Amino acid sequence: MKNRLKVLRAERDWSQADLAGHLGVSRQSINAIETGKYDPSLPLAFKISDLFDLTIEQVFLRS
Amino acid sequence: MSKYPSYMKRYFIRLMIFISLYMAILIGGLSWMNSINPPDDPIPSVLALLTALPILGVFWTIFRLLVEIDDEYQRFLMTKQIVIGTAMTLAITTVWQFLNAYDVLLQGPQWIGVIWLAMFGIAGGLVRWKA
Repeated sequence: MKNRLKVLRAERDWSQADLAGHLGVSRQSINAIETGKYDPSLPLAFKISDLFDLTIEQVFLRS
Repeated sequence: MSKYPSYMKRYFIRLMIFISLYMAILIGGLSWMNSINPPDDPIPSVLALLTALPILGVFWTIFRLLVEIDDEYQRFLMTKQIVIGTAMTLAITTVWQFLNAYDVLLQGPQWIGVIWLAMFGIAGGLVRWKA
């Protein structure tokens, strides 16, 4: 599943480690989600979209 | 921020405790058994069980980690590691078993727990390589 995580992170000038810290997950997890190696669960997807004050559909895109 | 999350710290502490216990019981048990050669009947059985217990503790530690990981991607990697390690152990012991059945090898699969731990370690490298 594609996502806009890298762009949203860059807009806030956050590193992967910064975003991982905000979400309480590992930097490796953020990298895996950004590169499409791993699709997050619905609770984590909601947490990510809430952090950016967006809806899930605005963060995660249909492939 | 600490380098390791709390669940990994607990994992390392538990692992160190059980491995230390294993080493102490194994070395102490064998030394004691050799010193009272030949030991009476229940002693070898009791020592064997005591030596196996910390290894069971290592298995418990690994599966407890799976429960305690609060990072879903890390839990996913750990699950993959356990499944791949188990699959490799089953492959090795199945081939070994048939080599024994056809009299190529004199003994059937031995030390399966140790094989599983070795395969679990190898699977960890495979799963986390480019993860």
